[in-house]
Amino acid sequence: MNRKKLIADILTYIFLILFTLIALYPVINVFTISIRPNDRLLSTSLSIIPDNATFRQYFELFTNRPFLLWVWNSTIVSFVVTVTGVALASTAGYALSRFQFTGKQFSMLGLLTTQMFPATMLLLPMYIMLIKLGLINSYLGIIIVYSATALPFCVWQMKGYYDTIPLSLEESARIDGCSRWQAFYKIIFPLAAPALVITALFSFMTAWSEYIVAAQVLQDTSLYTLPLGLKSFQSNLTTEWGLYAAAALIVSIPVVILFIVLSKWLVSGLTLGSVKG
Amino acid sequence: MRPEEKNVLQKQIDEYMKLHPGIKIIQLYKETEEMRSGYIVAAIGGQGPDLIYGPSDQVGPFADMEIIKPLENVFSKDYLSHFNDKALITYKGHLWQLADKLGNHLTLVYNKDLVPVPPKTDKELIEIGKKLTKDVNGDGRIDQYGLVWNYTEPYFFIPFLTGFGGWVLDSADTPTLNTPAMVNALNFIADLRDKYKIIPGEADYDIADVLFKEGKAGMIINGDWSWSSYGNAGINYGISILPLITETGKYATPMVAPKGYSINKNADEKKLSEIKDLLKFLMSPEKQLETALEVKTFPSRKELYTNPKLTSDEIFINSKNQIDHGIALPIVTEMRAIWDAMRPAYQAVLGGAITPQEAAKQMQQDAVKKIKELREDYVDPVGRTIVFVIFFLAVIALLFFTRRSLAAFFKNFKRNSFAYYLLLPAMIIMIAVIMYPFIYNIILSVSNMSLAHINDWSIVGFYQYAKVFAEPQFYEFFLKTIIWTGTNIVFHVVLGVTLALLINRSLPGSGIFRTLLILPWAIPQYIVALTWRGMFNYEYGAINLIIVKFLSMSPVEWLKSPVEAFMAVIITNIWLGFPFMMIIALGALQSIPKELYEAADIDGAKWYQKLRSITIPLIKPVMIPAITLGVIWTFNNINVVWLVSNAGEPSDKTHILVSFVYKAAFNLYRYGYAAAFSVVIFLILLAFGLTFLRRTKATESIY
Repeated sequence: MNRKKLIADILTYIFLILFTLIALYPVINVFTISIRPNDRLLSTSLSIIPDNATFRQYFELFTNRPFLLWVWNSTIVSFVVTVTGVALASTAGYALSRFQFTGKQFSMLGLLTTQMFPATMLLLPMYIMLIKLGLINSYLGIIIVYSATALPFCVWQMKGYYDTIPLSLEESARIDGCSRWQAFYKIIFPLAAPALVITALFSFMTAWSEYIVAAQVLQDTSLYTLPLGLKSFQSNLTTEWGLYAAAALIVSIPVVILFIVLSKWLVSGLTLGSVKG
Repeated sequence: MRPEEKNVLQKQIDEYMKLHPGIKIIQLYKETEEMRSGYIVAAIGGQGPDLIYGPSDQVGPFADMEIIKPLENVFSKDYLSHFNDKALITYKGHLWQLADKLGNHLTLVYNKDLVPVPPKTDKELIEIGKKLTKDVNGDGRIDQYGLVWNYTEPYFFIPFLTGFGGWVLDSADTPTLNTPAMVNALNFIADLRDKYKIIPGEADYDIADVLFKEGKAGMIINGDWSWSSYGNAGINYGISILPLITETGKYATPMVAPKGYSINKNADEKKLSEIKDLLKFLMSPEKQLETALEVKTFPSRKELYTNPKLTSDEIFINSKNQIDHGIALPIVTEMRAIWDAMRPAYQAVLGGAITPQEAAKQMQQDAVKKIKELREDYVDPVGRTIVFVIFFLAVIALLFFTRRSLAAFFKNFKRNSFAYYLLLPAMIIMIAVIMYPFIYNIILSVSNMSLAHINDWSIVGFYQYAKVFAEPQFYEFFLKTIIWTGTNIVFHVVLGVTLALLINRSLPGSGIFRTLLILPWAIPQYIVALTWRGMFNYEYGAINLIIVKFLSMSPVEWLKSPVEAFMAVIITNIWLGFPFMMIIALGALQSIPKELYEAADIDGAKWYQKLRSITIPLIKPVMIPAITLGVIWTFNNINVVWLVSNAGEPSDKTHILVSFVYKAAFNLYRYGYAAAFSVVIFLILLAFGLTFLRRTKATESIY
């Protein structure tokens, strides 16, 4: 039995190490670009540390470019979208999981259909609409659009997770005198922590990495979010690759930190095991 | 625009604002193609910047769409007489753009340490090239080339077409691609690679650039934008005009594209005098000289051509030489169709799939077809009535079939009100954002909106839909999209769930693996997608290195042949997408009570039995929505395909439906057709969604 477990553990490690290497290699390449002098995207050499490696790009990013402003702008937008996503998806998902009502199937399919149109085609009408609503050059406009982009997945995902939580929990809460709302937010909401983490990560990432809508809507450089800022390093045939790569790596750090922080609830394994019967 | 150019312009704008307090000018930079599509959207929406700057070939589409103002009445004849003729961009009898720079011209850049004297003729070029192309370090592989350049791109091929006496358009804007000159020029490029072997077997812009910067190429053909970067990379470089083609006695002649300003048609009339004043400031000889000296661009004011500060500069002299030996880039919108028609056939010749003769013929046919599509002017007043009748009938049918549900909705509203309140906020946002664009698109799809009807489009019926289904490539790319989506999703889910299961075993260190494994998801897609493209490079890419060194197989020409290129795109997207499924699966695994596994262990269940009867059924409710949406997103994921295949290369074979519609319709301003195409994509996905959800019962609760 123990030998079996040992073999399983070794195989697990081999597989994980292999995939971690595959996951890391291109990222390491990006790091190499970021410390390579003279803006070269490619190289004929495969060495990780290039000749004349320099951290000048990182320095340049923080001193001569409004990088921190972009980080700040993106953080605000992403934070609001995350909160909106979690609040709206957790409630809507609950309604779709727990109640039988007319229009339920229709709502669920409706949410899905919004993702089916190629996004480039929606840009012109969306822009015209935002002009009419006076939401050009404002965060409110893109926050609403991002929330709408993130919601379908988040709602479906929350609904799927609620489905795995037994109904008996609310029933006993109701017998103990909780209202329907209390039964939801006191009992079920905390139990859905792993799904809330996914919802939060997804909403955050939607806002953190979106470019097309932001490029059309935000015209004031002081409002630029990170993807817009990064894109400004790029031009037809002469891109500042070093800066771009350095910024790309720094941009992924907050995502990783958020993931590490939220992981506690994603993998605790305690949430449901003890109460399910 | 290079970063240095942006900085100089900003400096000049700041100076102007200091001189004119109360005027605020914002410089907003976007990459060329992006700026154009963004500007078109903004201008059609009645907005956009007052001034728009860019290469002259944007004048064609902008003037056709009437989104810029004619300038002949804004500036006096006398003022305009100070400019080089090439800087005054006229089209259809109006002046549309005033250029401050002439440029984008390709020249021969040579490494003085390897090539002391640049070649004057093609014969000399080949001779020098043969001497330089060799294996320097003796490992059996060629590591130094005589000549490198982005020869897979038609723009970089034009000098040879002209050198052999050809051109792209005649005076009536009809393509002239099927000519002996084209065939000779195609043969010449193929010979450089296969007969004289002085250029690499595979070279896109970045590969050529890096070879020259690393001193591994004697010469490169590149434009004025690149020169300073070679100096910065420590290359002792010189520039020289492109060589003479001995066969014809003509010089290889590049296109010259002026860059300058146009005025938005939406610009406020009251602001016009201020706009004009700003332009005169930026275009003044002093400012142009300042720019020319700082960023080595070529000014458009004639009085500067004799300025000693410039005439003493070697780069300036050679640049002027090449510009004098240059042909103005055609500004007609037809040029877009010509580039799109040249690229696939040209690359097919390089890939050895067709002969130069066939390619010339194919280019011509394609160009004629695309121009016809671009200029399409279809009007059908009857179509409008048909659309209205069908729409009316559809609404009645919808009401009829949903009458019971509607009645039930109102009858049971009170009983269900708690659920509705929970759902309401999300629904409001969704409807607010999606409804208008959605309906707008459906209307566009039955309209004739295209270059001929940008502002005055009308409803013409189901004409565009008929065109979508009549397009033979639709079926080819539909099949490719299915393969693309299916392969991606299978790998994403299998890898994601497997990795989640392994991480969830909570062995020591699993937290580190968990964090590292999400990196492909966390890092911005754009740069890693291009990194992957580099990894697939035939000669220098990491993937071929692994294949050759560790698997002892022969290297694969990933980006040159359609099947391999498609595989490369899929592999990249699998890499990008598995972490997301892993996170979802990790969350889903938490909902499984540990007791179930303990009970199964007591019963002596094997691991695969537990997987099949506990894990999979219990993660299903969470995984099904992710898979459904994963399919939808992957189906419409244009980015990765576009970046890794460089917009469909080789020969526009590496496409999925969305990238195809983007290139063949959206890029040629066929908005009605593109909208109909999108509705078809939408209906395909809707059919998939309905079937998949019905079969997996995902909309129903499991308890």
